[in-house]
Amino acid sequence: MTRLIVGRLAEALAALLLMSLVIFLLSRVTGDPVALLLGDSATVEDRDRLIEQLALDRSLWDQYLTFLGNALTGDFGQSVAAGRRDALDLVLERLPASMSLAAVALCFTLVTGIAMGVLAAITRGSAVDIVVRIVALMGQSVPAFWLGIVLIYVVSVNWGLLPTSGYGTWQHYVLPALTIGTFTLAAVTRLVRASMLDALGSEYVKLARIKGLSEATVILKHALSNSLIPVVTFMGAFFATMITGAVVVETVFAWPGIGRLAYESIVSRDFPVIQTVVLVITALFILANFCVDMLYLAIDPRMRDRG
Amino acid sequence: MQGLVRPAFAAALAVTLLPGVATAQDDTLVIALPTFSEQTMTPWSGSGQRKTYLDLVYEYLVYLDGDGNAEPGLAESWELNEDGTQWTFNLREGVPFSDESCGTVTAADVQYSIERIIAEDSRAGPASTMRRIIESVETPDDMTVVINLSAPDFLLDTGYMGEAQQTGIVCRSYVEGLGEDADTAPPVGTGAYVLETSVEGSEITLTRREGDHWRVSPEWPSISFRAVPEEATRVAMLLAGEADIAPVSFDSIPGLEEADISIVSAEQTWSPVIRLGGIVQTDPARHNPDLPWADVRVRQAMNYAIDKQTIIDELFAGQGTVANGDTPVQAWADVPPYPYDPDRARELLAEAGYPDGFDMVLRTFATTPGAELPLMAEAAALYWADVGINVTIEPGDWPSIRSEWTSGEAWNYAMTHRGFPFANPENGVEAGFSDRSIFASFTSAELEELLAGLASETDRDARRERLTEIGQYIRDEAGAVFMVLANEPYGVGPDVGDWSIDTAYVYNFDQAGRAE
Repeated sequence: MTRLIVGRLAEALAALLLMSLVIFLLSRVTGDPVALLLGDSATVEDRDRLIEQLALDRSLWDQYLTFLGNALTGDFGQSVAAGRRDALDLVLERLPASMSLAAVALCFTLVTGIAMGVLAAITRGSAVDIVVRIVALMGQSVPAFWLGIVLIYVVSVNWGLLPTSGYGTWQHYVLPALTIGTFTLAAVTRLVRASMLDALGSEYVKLARIKGLSEATVILKHALSNSLIPVVTFMGAFFATMITGAVVVETVFAWPGIGRLAYESIVSRDFPVIQTVVLVITALFILANFCVDMLYLAIDPRMRDRG
Repeated sequence: MQGLVRPAFAAALAVTLLPGVATAQDDTLVIALPTFSEQTMTPWSGSGQRKTYLDLVYEYLVYLDGDGNAEPGLAESWELNEDGTQWTFNLREGVPFSDESCGTVTAADVQYSIERIIAEDSRAGPASTMRRIIESVETPDDMTVVINLSAPDFLLDTGYMGEAQQTGIVCRSYVEGLGEDADTAPPVGTGAYVLETSVEGSEITLTRREGDHWRVSPEWPSISFRAVPEEATRVAMLLAGEADIAPVSFDSIPGLEEADISIVSAEQTWSPVIRLGGIVQTDPARHNPDLPWADVRVRQAMNYAIDKQTIIDELFAGQGTVANGDTPVQAWADVPPYPYDPDRARELLAEAGYPDGFDMVLRTFATTPGAELPLMAEAAALYWADVGINVTIEPGDWPSIRSEWTSGEAWNYAMTHRGFPFANPENGVEAGFSDRSIFASFTSAELEELLAGLASETDRDARRERLTEIGQYIRDEAGAVFMVLANEPYGVGPDVGDWSIDTAYVYNFDQAGRAE
């Protein structure tokens, strides 16, 4: 167990280091913030002065090593676009909004997806099964920005039931969580349906039925509990999908989270903030997968034995 | 069945959800903006886009009337010396800051505000130009400010000290006391509103100051700005009654008008244009004489070949006029735009050695305003194809293209651009057509001479004549493909009474009325 945890931590550090290099180089591929920070009538001298002020005249490796050295001490630099504010502060300020949205979306996804998956499995081949499968297929096909805008116009503008956008009350969570969760909802539904079908055809379920247990007990206790193991395995990936999907959904719903901060910082080529956002998202992703690993160990005795 | 189910479902949900639906509150003017930009609170710590909310807090020495003429602001009067190199502003007595410890506006506050705007670390849009022309700021007494210039400028009052620019007057002692934290601290100015809350990337709320204000009588007790980057969402907010004012694209106008949302347009506040790369003729690094449009006849042909009025009618909902330049300049009123004449375009191309046209790349992107730029590029490409110019359109994003464009090379492509709505039109001309500017798209030795003549001209009327001459020259040389002098539409909800925008970057939100 200890070896597994240490191994995972080493992998996490390596991933963060690699990611810091990748994002450092990628963010510089399409230019720098200098042209955006300068007024339209700026001169060559103004440009040179700003490049020097932002230390962009140094070599890329020099810049990267400075960034890395500072990051190890918790200093991720200052935003060049948002009034020289501390980049990490900016990200941490926006993080709760994204995390709470992802949590709500994940709950929605798991509860609805598991229910739909079970329903489809126990009514295999029926109209209900077909409808659930079509819904799942559509959920994975529909682009989030399109779904978000359609939901805004139908639910908020036409029906007047929920706010179109913004942040603050529980009503604000409904449409973005629905939008962000639809893709993973479809995945969970299909996963649970397939696992349930396997489980329902297994020997232990047949035995449970022979023992005369009620159908509800057979499905919920014996079949479902075993079918959820693959879902747990994929929860880290689901969480990552929600965080990365937040870039689009938070923009459509004017949600003040790190997804929108990422979008804004990319648009303004705010290197320190781009780097910090990506590293925080990477860290979250690694943490989520680590938690899933631990959960997997807890629920699957075979893994514990191997560990 | 469906007709029964949907209302029933909606009604059932409504009972549960409606209490929480956020509609624009009765006492709050809700304004949905595409961005808060930097969301910093000092005039010098970011771009002019922040003027939407900062103009409610900070005030200016000079205001503008509906025609763009100067009106007294924090300066009650001002005078200019003979040769246009020294401006003296006499301040209005007894205008209080929102923080009592600051007292009333003095010359020291004005001097400090100007010096911070032109400081080397200033991120204000006009900082660069202002730094070049302002030599020093003096305060002979508490209520007098003297600005000494390094070159004549007859438009300093409206151009740099006016409400269309960023020289908002701050409380010196308050800002100095805060040091670097001033950029993110609650702002203190003399405007009619004070900041109540600022939620990063989400909402900025301002409340009306108590008592009578010297300049305006705001009707809204509170004004709330929401950052909503997606245009479709801003339109939805207007339709759902969650926002009272929001900038919208021309495409959205018919739908909004059908829903009784009125449209208020800021007239000719931006000027969509197609800039041609590699023709900064006075800078060898940015000049490529082998490009087809290095020949003036080709550039003229490209202008003649496009039916700009049809583009205005179809893409800009008729809200604009055919452009004669890349920025609205009063002195260019008599400079004629290129008419639509494809036959003349073909003749000129043939004369220039391109009877069968040529291939080119046109890069485009969307901005706010500027959602129409990619469609405008498509339309221009169709018209050019008609005279043999084959265009490959490359969609991109403005930050990347701008970064590349200003890097000092001779680019072999053209790009769409939203134009330069400068408060001082002379700066717009310099930005686009002087090799001193990193953004310049066309220059020539003759044009640089004309610009130098303008800069040294000390007679106001002669200066205007020189500006007109420059406009005519740029037009004749076809320094760009001039497209539209366009309006900027805003959707306005039914709770708002009178409200208008007269000039670019002047939003007048503190003067928005409330409907009866």
